[in-house]
Amino acid sequence: MADDRKRMFAKHMELKYTKEHGTNKMEGGKITDMTVEYHRLGVDQNPRKLEMKKAGQELAKKRGLVGYNPMMHCGGIPLGQRALTPSFLSGTDDMVEIDDLHYVNNAAMQQMWDDIRRTVIVGMDMAHETLEKRLGIEVTPETINHYLETLNHALPGGAVVQEHMVETHPALVDDCFVKIFTGDDELADEIDSQFLIDINKQFPAEQAEALKAAIGKTTWQAAHIPTVVSRTTDGGQTSRWMAMQVGMAFISAYSMCAGEAAVADLSYAAKHAGVIQMGEMLPARRARAPNEPGGIPFGHMADIIQTSRKTPEDPANVTLEVVGGACMLYDQIWLGSYMSGGVGFTQYATAAYCNNILDDNLYYNVDYINDKYDGAANTGTDNKVKADLEVVKDIATESTIYGLENYEKYPTTLEDHFGGSQRATSLSAAAGSAVSLATGNGNAGLSGWYLCMYLHKEAHGRLGFFGYDLQDQCGATNVLSYQSDEGLALELRGPNYPNYAMNVGHQGGYTAIASAAHAGRGDAYAVNPLVKVCFADDLLPFDFSKPRKEFARGALREFEPAGERSLIIPAK
Amino acid sequence: MAYELQYYPGATSVAENRRKHMSGKVEKIRDISDDDLTLILGHRAPGSDYPSTHPPLAEMGEPECSVREMVEPTPGAKAGDRVRYVQFVDSMYNAPSVPYFRSYAAAINFRGVDPGTLSGRQVVEARERDMEELAKFQMETEMTCPALASLRGATVHGHSLRLPEDGVMFDMLDRCRKEGDVIIMHKDQVGRPIDKKVNLGKPMSPEEAAKRTTIYRVDNVAFRDDAEVIEWVHRVFDQRTIYGFKPEN
Repeated sequence: MADDRKRMFAKHMELKYTKEHGTNKMEGGKITDMTVEYHRLGVDQNPRKLEMKKAGQELAKKRGLVGYNPMMHCGGIPLGQRALTPSFLSGTDDMVEIDDLHYVNNAAMQQMWDDIRRTVIVGMDMAHETLEKRLGIEVTPETINHYLETLNHALPGGAVVQEHMVETHPALVDDCFVKIFTGDDELADEIDSQFLIDINKQFPAEQAEALKAAIGKTTWQAAHIPTVVSRTTDGGQTSRWMAMQVGMAFISAYSMCAGEAAVADLSYAAKHAGVIQMGEMLPARRARAPNEPGGIPFGHMADIIQTSRKTPEDPANVTLEVVGGACMLYDQIWLGSYMSGGVGFTQYATAAYCNNILDDNLYYNVDYINDKYDGAANTGTDNKVKADLEVVKDIATESTIYGLENYEKYPTTLEDHFGGSQRATSLSAAAGSAVSLATGNGNAGLSGWYLCMYLHKEAHGRLGFFGYDLQDQCGATNVLSYQSDEGLALELRGPNYPNYAMNVGHQGGYTAIASAAHAGRGDAYAVNPLVKVCFADDLLPFDFSKPRKEFARGALREFEPAGERSLIIPAK
Repeated sequence: MAYELQYYPGATSVAENRRKHMSGKVEKIRDISDDDLTLILGHRAPGSDYPSTHPPLAEMGEPECSVREMVEPTPGAKAGDRVRYVQFVDSMYNAPSVPYFRSYAAAINFRGVDPGTLSGRQVVEARERDMEELAKFQMETEMTCPALASLRGATVHGHSLRLPEDGVMFDMLDRCRKEGDVIIMHKDQVGRPIDKKVNLGKPMSPEEAAKRTTIYRVDNVAFRDDAEVIEWVHRVFDQRTIYGFKPEN
């Protein structure tokens, strides 16, 4: 099967490595050639580098202080001694400059993270009960609609109750809104459609039923505070901002006396009693508030990405879109910036979502599983293979060897993933996700990830950077650990899990493995139905159903972000 | 019956080469003079004394300690040499050695070494004269092909790149070149120009490299064809997994 397969990366490799881009003179040759002529043309072969070089020169002239100068690299040897090739976003035909996949250069990436950080889910039921039982106020669909109208005025920074208040300019906070969702179809029917995330419309029927069953007759607010506020403050601000406006909106909408004793009860019930942060607070040594990326469990991240409701019949595609979103967030933004400082980690992450190399490996695995295990990689729950070590070994070994052989047969794939860490991420994400798809079990998938690492290391006599050799050689031991702090289900692990806190190139893959288990089963969500529904909202600036396409739009400078301040600063 | 060390499983030439590297019983195929080695390592001027970080141990008046008495210091430690490094990059295209096997070879066959293994490079730190002994051993033997491996203290990029037309692994700093039928190094391992060209010897032919390599490749010896090695990887995996699940097993 392996040898007659048309590789998904072939077209992209041919365009990247055998065609001329700008002035790089790379035309000619085949992607199976082991040798090539490196023209050593430096930055001048790449249009983005040239743009940046010019900008650096203008900056130096303008401020009288030197800035960006690509000739500073390594004492005068410029970046780009070999050809600087652009990349394709996997699953798209969009070819982009890799500099434009740094989150600083990519507005879509920024917006993805902004949209997560500025989101909080707040329960309504306890507040309603307090209003009814403590104050005897009748809560009806009409009052809820009125409250939501009030809150959509107040949440972006509009004043209610008090007079002579400063307010925010609506055009600066136009991305801020709140909607509600419920598993109660009768109540949903009564809610003004502008305020409702309609589960029945957003999800396929089976998924909608599962979500409504999980949510039951409870009601939740999906709130997104303004991007500009979130950026100016931190993830902890999201619930604080929401809490302030929720309190004021309740007081206003239900004509309460702000000083009466019951308001204290209402405040607690409305602001704090049913709050779901996207990420937990990290310990003091990592010093981050709630709703910062280091606290977002892999299961939450899997649910935030929305591809599963768009292409449920293609669980591999769901997995690959999760890879893209999660690698960007965890590798590029969390580990790459929050934890380390800024430059370089983009390069690790792009291997997982560029040029269809991982995609090819995973779709090969799907075919292998479906042939050998009677359609186990197709969506469904009755077709899964039992998650035992023999299955893990079989699927992960085949996946790994297939992927390794691609690097050996197609030297341009090896060159594209220039370092072992990139190869290890791609191979292990494929192996782990494949096991998950076949078994519907994320921990079995995780087990496949670790076996892949062992096989990779043994075949090529090398793996990733030091971190890989630490984490990935002891990882198998804690897949099913009896120790409580090392034995969590993969969905509940996160970037701060023991051993996972420091290594770029892993967390996006782990998220994909968690996601694949549920996508493979056709589940409506991975771990939290509330998070899944909260992001099923077309009003969000970032389209969470296709993050890779969005990153491409960002790189091509086609994406329109929120939170811009041009209204109040001199226009340029 | 004398116990014979069994370094590695496998029935293929790659497995056999891995066993050889780990055992240290490798073939010497070229000579590098001490001065040339010093020059390309770049830590000190050829002919100069080894800089030291402390007086010789014999003059130190060390405290009484049974472990100190039991372990003979390495020559570098005895003399008080500073700690220096040597770092190799090995091509993915049939380079004779690979990072893990350079590390295993160092750790098994040399004392007082601190090998570090990464995907593209392998660094060994040790007292300077001890490090040089190891560096010379690795450079003069079949563990190294001067075209498919190189000394790189900085900018290690290149191990996974396609080979340039002359078959000398890509190096953005151009430390090595093919001149005539030999490889010369005209910069030290961190890329500083040196006073003379150091002859590193002839590159291996593609056939010779394929024969001596320790890397599995589908176009030479495929990993999937070495069933015993895969079986042992599976065994390691099984045991580590089960250990975490139920340690009394």
